[in-house]
Amino acid sequence: MTELPVPARRTPTDVLRGSLDLLVLKTLSLMPMHGWGISQRIQQLSEGVLEVNQGSLYPALQRLEKDGLVASEWGTTDNNRRARYYRLTAAGRRALGQELESWRRFSTGLETVLRTG
Amino acid sequence: MSLIHALRTRLGLILARRAAEARMDEEIRLHVELESERLVREAGLDPLEARRRALVAFGGVERYREELRDGRGLAWLGGFSLDVKLGARMLVKYPGLSVVAVLGMTVAIAIGSIAFTFVSAFLDPTLPLNEGERVVSIQNADVRRPSNPDRHALRDFALWRDRLTRLRDIGAYTMDSRTLVLPDGSADLVPVAFITASGFRVAQVVPAIGRTLLDDDEREGAPPVLVIGFEEWQRRFGGDSGVIGRTVRLGNAMHTVVGVMPAGFHFPVNHRYWAPLRLDPAAYEPGGGPELHMFARLAAGVTLEEAQAELAAVGPAGAETRPQLRPQLLPYAYEYLGLDSPERAIFLRGIQLAVSLLLVVVAVNVSVLVYARTAARAGELAVRTALGASRLRVVGQLFAEALVLSALAAALGLTIARVGLATVVEQVAGSGLPFWLDFGLSPGLVLYVAGSAVLGAVIVGVLPGLRATGRDVQSGLAQLSARGSRMQLGRTWTAVIIAQVAIAVAVLPYVSYVAGQALRRGTAAPNFPIHEILRTQVALDRLEAPPAAEAAAYDSAGNALLLNRVQELVRRLEAEPGVAGVTFASHFPGEEGSARLEVEGGETSSVRLSRVDVDLLPVLGIRMLAGRGFAAPDVRVNASAADSTRSGTSGADATTAVVNRALAETMGTTGAVLDRRVRFVRRTEDGRGGWRIEQGPWIEVVGVMPDFTVQDDIDQAELKVYLPASLAGVLNGERSVDLAVRVRGSSAAAFTKRFREVAVAVDPALQLHDLRTAADLQWETQRLLRLMGLAVAGATLSVLLLSAAGIYAMMSFTVARRRREIGIRVALGANARRILSGIFARASAQLAAGVLVGALLAAAINQAAGGGLLTGEHRLLLPLAAVAMVLIGLLAALGPARRGLRVQPTEALREE
Repeated sequence: MTELPVPARRTPTDVLRGSLDLLVLKTLSLMPMHGWGISQRIQQLSEGVLEVNQGSLYPALQRLEKDGLVASEWGTTDNNRRARYYRLTAAGRRALGQELESWRRFSTGLETVLRTG
Repeated sequence: MSLIHALRTRLGLILARRAAEARMDEEIRLHVELESERLVREAGLDPLEARRRALVAFGGVERYREELRDGRGLAWLGGFSLDVKLGARMLVKYPGLSVVAVLGMTVAIAIGSIAFTFVSAFLDPTLPLNEGERVVSIQNADVRRPSNPDRHALRDFALWRDRLTRLRDIGAYTMDSRTLVLPDGSADLVPVAFITASGFRVAQVVPAIGRTLLDDDEREGAPPVLVIGFEEWQRRFGGDSGVIGRTVRLGNAMHTVVGVMPAGFHFPVNHRYWAPLRLDPAAYEPGGGPELHMFARLAAGVTLEEAQAELAAVGPAGAETRPQLRPQLLPYAYEYLGLDSPERAIFLRGIQLAVSLLLVVVAVNVSVLVYARTAARAGELAVRTALGASRLRVVGQLFAEALVLSALAAALGLTIARVGLATVVEQVAGSGLPFWLDFGLSPGLVLYVAGSAVLGAVIVGVLPGLRATGRDVQSGLAQLSARGSRMQLGRTWTAVIIAQVAIAVAVLPYVSYVAGQALRRGTAAPNFPIHEILRTQVALDRLEAPPAAEAAAYDSAGNALLLNRVQELVRRLEAEPGVAGVTFASHFPGEEGSARLEVEGGETSSVRLSRVDVDLLPVLGIRMLAGRGFAAPDVRVNASAADSTRSGTSGADATTAVVNRALAETMGTTGAVLDRRVRFVRRTEDGRGGWRIEQGPWIEVVGVMPDFTVQDDIDQAELKVYLPASLAGVLNGERSVDLAVRVRGSSAAAFTKRFREVAVAVDPALQLHDLRTAADLQWETQRLLRLMGLAVAGATLSVLLLSAAGIYAMMSFTVARRRREIGIRVALGANARRILSGIFARASAQLAAGVLVGALLAAAINQAAGGGLLTGEHRLLLPLAAVAMVLIGLLAALGPARRGLRVQPTEALREE
């Protein structure tokens, strides 16, 4: 469904909806960013393995904002364009810790199952 | 997560939906730009291709927006607003249906709103006073006459003021009028509240300037003082703050103005002048004295029930001789509205409910229309359901569409109600309304109207929606491609049509009679020069109830003085330039009293009676239709007549009478009436539970006068009898007399001021009540009739319109359902006429059934109303109503029938 970014070294994996929030929170824990920046950063950090479905990113941001995990305000980009910058709130930081913890448990469990299977 | 933050975000998102969408657009735009630039930079694409890919990668802007809305939990709002838009479009697409539906519901909501406002104003009045709900009225209910409390309570008042501890500032007032004479000589009769100083403490309102009344002002021998209302201060004293300390004449006494109350203060009812109440309870027996209205405030922490218990325990003064009295406390406003019995409140609520039901009736009608339209959309609904729309969603859509209709009707109805109420209140009451009555736009009214709109929408949208979606959707889908809708207009619907026609036929004769009569009388011009006549009711300042010991002497002196003063007033008025005549009567034409009259050898009937000056008819310019008018010898001064006058067989001293045309017609042909004899009869209780009939002497009818006044009701023409009387005869034992002045040529209104000046010159204690031209009076009495006529006519027309629309819808529906059949029959060469008659057959059958039931109902109504509506000059009303309904029904059926005949066989068959 998703058009491949060019060039495509490996087949990128669609970010699972459930994990998108975690990735966004993690990305924002480094610094405040605008939407496109977040999608680029996730791709960058995952070395192109994970690609954010861009249509899902903004609803996720809105959802996180509604839940009080991120906050947003208008700012300007490096080349002076108006952009909405999102940053992590204190609640978001706490939530990130919990999400990371539960994700680790989940992936460990998954790993164990796959190994024994 | 911070709750406040979440709330703020959510609120912001909901309230600033547009802002949110704009923000969304901006974010998308930036994202796509940055992404395209990256593609140009990293992949070397040309800008156009880069942009295309960026957009594709984004995955559809609308989907993103939808998700955003979902994220906000507002999906339903988007869907609902879409439904509302669709509803607005349907409004335009079916203009006929929309006009009928909106009009019908508008009328119903307007009428409902007016009733709601009136009933709430009366039943849930809020006193605009500090802690107004703790202000109460006190009265002596009389178990023998529940709706008529005993107000002669001066002794009770004194007792309660001394004894009751759970009430404070117990006060009382009497209502009277006095001629106010200003320093410039101008005079006017003003209502004055003679009130205890505690009234101002109960109201807890401080004066704008000066002071209120003080307890000391009530002391016998204290200098007379007056407190005036803000509006009167502005109007009559030019808002001069030097008014305090100035003296003004009120009747025969000079009063010092001591205070001006603030604007809007009209306690106790609608007063603008307050003078101290000076009465010595010791001079009166229990049950004696003038009519008193009493009020008080509940003491701190005391409930109405607790205060009531104390009041009942103390009881009225002289309780042993007045066992029928039950002292009671009421919320303050209730006493003045006659709402002291719960039955009346229930009755009013009943009216409110009944009026609100009108909306239900109209809405059911409209829902029938909408159902027919919904049936035509069965296919669309089936498709939507098949595509996954839940039943709730489909019904919700129909609800939203109906809500558009009903909301429009609610807005229109509320506007009409506001304008109508303002008109009615202004015309009916002027400034004479109690100060707490508020017919303004209350939150309750807005809620009521909003509720009406929703109720209307539920009936109009949801009921047909549930029926339309309740059927097997599969078959609906199948029919979509095959045979058109199979939705049925069941028996219920047929019954509704029949009932509608029946009700219209049954009610039309009556309402058209009412509307016609109201409009006819409301616009008729009386047959005498009303613009030249200035009329008033003359009385004299006097105690309403002197102490029993001096009552007889006081009254006879008062009567003699009044006769003397009126004679002098008449003499001086006659001497005024421009005055063509002065005349008097016990009741001015059009305001006669009532009596029972027996015609010799004929029936006894209820008549309107006035005892008049022998010159009354000539002064008013009335020519006799037959016989003669009165002449001086007709007035016989009969000293023994006083008792019979008071006993009600009025006119016992008269030997001649003039009757009006209406009465003459009941007596036989006009000529034959002359020399017939009549007498007055009166039924009185004989004290043993039976009736005693008193008969006056026979009186000879000497003339027939025309019906020259206009009746202010829609009843049958009033039967009138005038008896000749001298001024002394009219005033015999009476406290007032009606005086009329005819001013030559010009409008009599210009003479009003002079009239008052002449009266003040005769005696400032003379009271000229209701001094105005006969034209003004006429205009006012007819205004209500016109309003009533228009209202009834409007409501009737909208009901007729709805009936016609219902029949039309049914026919359209039937034709639409039989399209294919008609097509095949036409294709097979059937006769168009026969098909047409087939289509008409069902409509005719329903119309006939409706007319039949309606005629029976009309007969029943006529029976209940005492007959007369279906016979005589009104005998054509019922047949006309029946013919009208049949015509309306057939006309409504014609359009759809013609449409049916235009069905092209090929087209109809292709739909297969």
